[in-house]
Amino acid sequence: MIKKANIWYTLFDILVVILMTLVLLITLYPFVNSLAISLNDADDTVRGGITFFPRVPTTRNYELVFTNEKIYTAYLVTIGRTVIGTLGGLLLTSLFAFGMAHRHLKGRKLYTILCIIPMYFGGGLVPFYFLLRSLGLMNSFWVYIIPNLVNIWNMILMRTYFQGIPPDLEESARIDGANYITVFFKIILPISTPIVATIALFVGVFQWNSWYDAAMYVTKQELKPMQSVLMNIINEAKFAEQLAQAANQGGGVDLSNVAKGKKVNVRSITMATMIVTVVPIILVYPFLQRYFIKGIMVGSLKG
Amino acid sequence: MPGKQSAIQNSLNVRGEKNSNRNTKERESFFRDFLKQADLQVLVIPAIFLIVIFSYIPMYGVLMGFQDFQLGDFPGLSPWVGFRHFKTLLQDPNIPIVMRNTLVISLLKTVINFPAPILFAVLLNELMGKHFKKAVQTISYLPHFISWVVAAALMFDFFSVDNGAVNSALVGMGIIQKPIHFFGKAEYFWGMSVLTDLWKGLGWNSIIYFAAISSVDAQLYEAAEIDGAGRFTKMWHITIATILPTIVLLFVFNIGGLLNANFDQIMMLTNQMTNPLLRSHADVLDTYVYRVGLRESRYSFGAAAGLFKSAVNILLLLAANKIAGKISGTSVL
Repeated sequence: MIKKANIWYTLFDILVVILMTLVLLITLYPFVNSLAISLNDADDTVRGGITFFPRVPTTRNYELVFTNEKIYTAYLVTIGRTVIGTLGGLLLTSLFAFGMAHRHLKGRKLYTILCIIPMYFGGGLVPFYFLLRSLGLMNSFWVYIIPNLVNIWNMILMRTYFQGIPPDLEESARIDGANYITVFFKIILPISTPIVATIALFVGVFQWNSWYDAAMYVTKQELKPMQSVLMNIINEAKFAEQLAQAANQGGGVDLSNVAKGKKVNVRSITMATMIVTVVPIILVYPFLQRYFIKGIMVGSLKG
Repeated sequence: MPGKQSAIQNSLNVRGEKNSNRNTKERESFFRDFLKQADLQVLVIPAIFLIVIFSYIPMYGVLMGFQDFQLGDFPGLSPWVGFRHFKTLLQDPNIPIVMRNTLVISLLKTVINFPAPILFAVLLNELMGKHFKKAVQTISYLPHFISWVVAAALMFDFFSVDNGAVNSALVGMGIIQKPIHFFGKAEYFWGMSVLTDLWKGLGWNSIIYFAAISSVDAQLYEAAEIDGAGRFTKMWHITIATILPTIVLLFVFNIGGLLNANFDQIMMLTNQMTNPLLRSHADVLDTYVYRVGLRESRYSFGAAAGLFKSAVNILLLLAANKIAGKISGTSVL
C-alpha cells in the first residue's frame, strides 16, 4: 500500500519538475533569444535560426543604437524620472503612512475615507487630462513626478508595517522631547529597510516602465523616456513588416528588397534597444527579492 | 412684564451663549489638539492635498459627462445636457462589440489566469529541492518587471511568422504545416491577450499565495501525517484551505475590475490600436474611451463613457462582495 503511494508521489514529483522546467524555459527564452539576436550580425539574423546564441557575434547593433542621439536624452529622462520619482514618492508616502499609523492623529477618520474612495472610484481619463492641462503639466517633466508622488496602496502597505513596530521605541524618544519628524528619520526609518526597499522597487519599476503619461501628455521629443523611443522603433518595425508584405503581394521586387533591408536592421536594433532598456531592472530586482517578499507578506497577511 | 421678557430673553441668551460657548470650546480644543500635534499633521497634509487634487478634482470633472464641454470652458460650467451622452453611448453601434471584447477578454483571464498562479504556488510548494524552487520563483518574477512595451516586443518575436520560437516548434513537431500569423488575425487576439498576460503575470501573482502558504504551521502537516493523511489530502485540506481567504479576497477584486481589460497590454499588442486588422477583437472599453475622448476630442462623450465604466465596475465589486459574503460568511471589503 505504502509502496504504491510512493510510486504515485514520485511520478507526481517528476511531473511537477517537468512542468516547472517548462515554465522556466518559456519565461526565459524570449529574453535569451532577443539577447542573442541583438548580439548577432543583422544580415545573418535574416537567414533565421538564431535561438540561444549569436551565430556571427557583433556589437554593431549596440553601436548603432548609441549613435542615435535621441537615446541619450531618453535615457537621461528615464533615469531622472526614476530617481526623482522614487525619492519623492518614498518621502511623501512613508511620512504619510507614518502619520496615519498613529491612532491619536486628529482627523484620521476623514483622511482614511479620503484614501478609500479613490481606490474604488476614479474620474476617468478625460477629466484627468483636463486637470493636468489646467495645472500646466502638459509637456512638462513634472507630469511624470507630481501625480505619482502619493500612492494609496503603497501607503497602506507601509502603514501596516509601521503599526507592527513596538510603540515603546517611539515613546521613549518622544519623552526625550523629539518631534515626530525626528522620530521618523532617526528611529523608524533605520529599522524599516524591508518595506522601504519594497516600495522603492515598486515605484522605481513603475517610473522606469511608464510610457502612458509620455504618450498622452507629452509631445516634446526631448522629454520622451526610453519606453517611448522603444515604442517608436517597434512601430517602425511593424510598419516595415507590413510594407514588405504589401510589396510581396504586389510583386514589386525593388520595393520588397528595400522594405526587407529596413526590416532586418530594425529587428536587430529593436532587440538591442530593448536590452538596453531592461538591463538595469533585471540587475536590480533579484537583490531586492527577499525584501519585497517580506514586504508583501506583512502587508497581505494583516491587510 | 418687561422684566419677565428680559428674563426670558436673558435665559435664552444664556442658553445660547452656553451652547455657542460649548461649540467654540469643542472647536477650540480640536484646533488646539490639532496644533499641538502639528509635527504629526505636517507629515500627512501634503499627501492628503495631492490626493484631493489628483483624485477628487477629476471626480468633480465627471460633470463634463452631463454637459456639453467645449475647449476653453471652465470644467463643470458648460451647458447641461442631462443624460444625452449616455444615450448616445448606449446607441453607438461600436458599443456591443466593445463590451463583448472587454467581457470576453476579462472573463477568459479570470477563468485561466486567475487560478494559474494558485496552481503554480501550490505545486511549486510541493517540491523539495530548495535551490530549484528559489530559482524558479526568482525567474518567474522577471516578466513582471518589464513594461508592456518591452513585453510586446518580446512576444512579437516569440510568436513571429519568420522563425519565431512558437511557430518553429509547432512546424517542427508537425502540428501545423505553415507558420501561423498569431498577431495578424483578429480571431487570435483574445487567445493571444490571455497567453501573453499569463506569461507576464504568473510568477508575480503567485507571490501572495506563497506568502500565505509559508504562514502555515508545519505542525499542522505533521499532525495530519500522523492521522494518516496522504500528500494530496494535505495539499487540499491544509495548503488550499489556508490560502482560501486570500483567494476569495483577490477574486472579489478581480470581479470588480472586469471592465478593465488591461489597457497597457492591449495598446501595445495592437501598436496603439493602429493595426486595423485587430480592431474588431481588440477594441475594449478603455481603448474606446481613449479613442473617442482624446483622439477624436469628444471630451464630454469620453467623460460619460469613463463614468459609465467606473459605475459598472463599482456595481460588480459590490455584487461580488455580497456573494462572497453570503458564501464565506464574512464580507471582504
